[in-house]
Amino acid sequence: MDVLHNLAFGFSHALTLHNLMYCAIGCAVGTLVGLLPGMGPLSTISLLLPLTYSIPTGGALIMLAGIYYGAQYGDSVSAITMKIPHASSIVACIDGYQMTLKGKTGLALFSAGVSSFIGGTVAIVVLSTLAPALGEVAFLFGPADYCALMLLGFFCVSFVTTGGHMLNGLAMALVGVLIGSIGTDVNSGSQRFTMDLPFLADGVGLISVALGCFGIAEIVKNLDARSVFTPFTGNIHLIPTWPEFKRIIPSALRGSVIGSVLGLLPGGGPTIAQFGAYAAEKRFSKHRDEIGSGAIEGVAGQAAADEAAARTSFIPLMSIGIPENAVMALMLAAFIVKGIQPGPNMIGQHPDLFWGLVASMWIGNCFLLMLNVPMVRYLLSVFKIPYAALFPSILFFCCVGTFTVNNNLDDIYITAVFGLLGYLFLRLDLEAAPLILGFILGPMLEENFRRALLLSRGSFSTFVTRPISATLVVLMALFALWQLTAYLRQPRVRPLPAAVAD
Amino acid sequence: MPNRLLIRGFLLIAIALCFGVPAATYHVGDFFHAGPGLFPLLVSCVVGAIGLAMVVQSRIEQSESLAIGFKNIAIVLASLIGFVVIADHLKAIPAIVYLVFVSTLAGTDYSVRRNLMICAVLVVIAFAFSSLLGLNLPLI
Repeated sequence: MDVLHNLAFGFSHALTLHNLMYCAIGCAVGTLVGLLPGMGPLSTISLLLPLTYSIPTGGALIMLAGIYYGAQYGDSVSAITMKIPHASSIVACIDGYQMTLKGKTGLALFSAGVSSFIGGTVAIVVLSTLAPALGEVAFLFGPADYCALMLLGFFCVSFVTTGGHMLNGLAMALVGVLIGSIGTDVNSGSQRFTMDLPFLADGVGLISVALGCFGIAEIVKNLDARSVFTPFTGNIHLIPTWPEFKRIIPSALRGSVIGSVLGLLPGGGPTIAQFGAYAAEKRFSKHRDEIGSGAIEGVAGQAAADEAAARTSFIPLMSIGIPENAVMALMLAAFIVKGIQPGPNMIGQHPDLFWGLVASMWIGNCFLLMLNVPMVRYLLSVFKIPYAALFPSILFFCCVGTFTVNNNLDDIYITAVFGLLGYLFLRLDLEAAPLILGFILGPMLEENFRRALLLSRGSFSTFVTRPISATLVVLMALFALWQLTAYLRQPRVRPLPAAVAD
Repeated sequence: MPNRLLIRGFLLIAIALCFGVPAATYHVGDFFHAGPGLFPLLVSCVVGAIGLAMVVQSRIEQSESLAIGFKNIAIVLASLIGFVVIADHLKAIPAIVYLVFVSTLAGTDYSVRRNLMICAVLVVIAFAFSSLLGLNLPLI
């Protein structure tokens, strides 16, 4: 009953006219930007993050969450209709695009929309029951435990994003930690790595790093590929028949459960949940032999998992205060900009924000369904704009976004530097997603590391004697050992790595 | 052709040195009383070790060669830097025009008419931002 009471409280906050508007704007803008080629959730959020700076806290968070799942949804629309693989919608390209080839675009979009709605609803139930409970557990965490948890997060994100080449991801996360240490050291007040440049005293701006590594590097990648996107011109017939509709439901429910669980784990999130749900459909679905050649189940399962994982990945962020993937790290940064430290105290201190956000997620779900399923035709007209006209505009928005953070034009130089670095990393096949996670968690990691050692009088045994951190350290060791044996056992000439990014 | 794994290793070692060497000059302290240099020094040692491992790895196994084109990234960076310089010394509108005309050099086709249209749209958006959202860019 407590949950219902809290949710009612949340809805009373989310249903104000302003918050409804922010939610709608977030969903609409997020979907629209997410549709664009090369704009996954990470680049969409970093581009639109400065927009939320001038909005009151509750509205800003609601809008940001709207942007996030809007972008996620936009990704899957462009994957289904045009097979534009965004990092977060690779699976949607398989069966979704096959359905488009068969002329069943409308059915695919409808399945994806309805399944996302189901997945989102299931995840919100999980979120509203589990997050407060997990918040209680988080009070048991000491500095050493936080340290170990963050490191385990690095391991898992590296593993997921680099498709098994964990060392690359780990290196990137640590490079992110180093970049995060630029600026004034909080404990001693001394300047580190600032090269005596005054604008570096506060550290490197998150927006500069994110827009450089995701926005600019992605644009140049698209330009290098000289890719031409032909706009979708087919017919969209949205309303399915009853037997078709009946096929959506079981897959969507399976996908929701898988997505909710995989979204909770460190390093988890939408990408891995999609693969998990797709694999499950291939195994358990009644129509499993059709999957891969355009089956409803192949779209519905992964769409539900995608949406569910996108919601449940908020749980570790809001109850423990540690983001589990790069998108959530951006969310953490947005919370902190607004003066709110996510963590076990957040639910108690700002119940209106927490429950308002949870309730707004469900409202956002409805918006997405209402806005996108009937209006998808109009949304797809953004593809009539040629990329040659689009990318200078995106560059301009990158400049404006960087500028608005501090009203300082010099910040754009830093964005340009990270654009170059991001491009180098991209060409060297080093993923930038772990870097952003490391960059945001870096200062927290250092603080907890120093605090843990201070408490233990400089002895590292604190990491293995505390039960929570010892468990996490053992998990990491097992992970590393598994990777090492996998590496030693494989044949020497390696196939091209299949990189998967979140 | 340069070996991608080798370059990757060298890049990581270079980053580790960039951060590790200055960190060693800060007060390091010991683990009990950590100074500001200790943590970055530790992390850069690990990054350097990973880089070194990659260099060794590139000697014992084949790796795909690095395909990298510098033309487009150079054009995009030039357009960004020019944007800041012009917006700083003149106004934002000439900076927008410069950004559009230079960055489109990287595209597949170049059309002055289309560029003028993009400029017009972006200028309108910039005005809308400054009047509605309070963007402080010096436009005129």
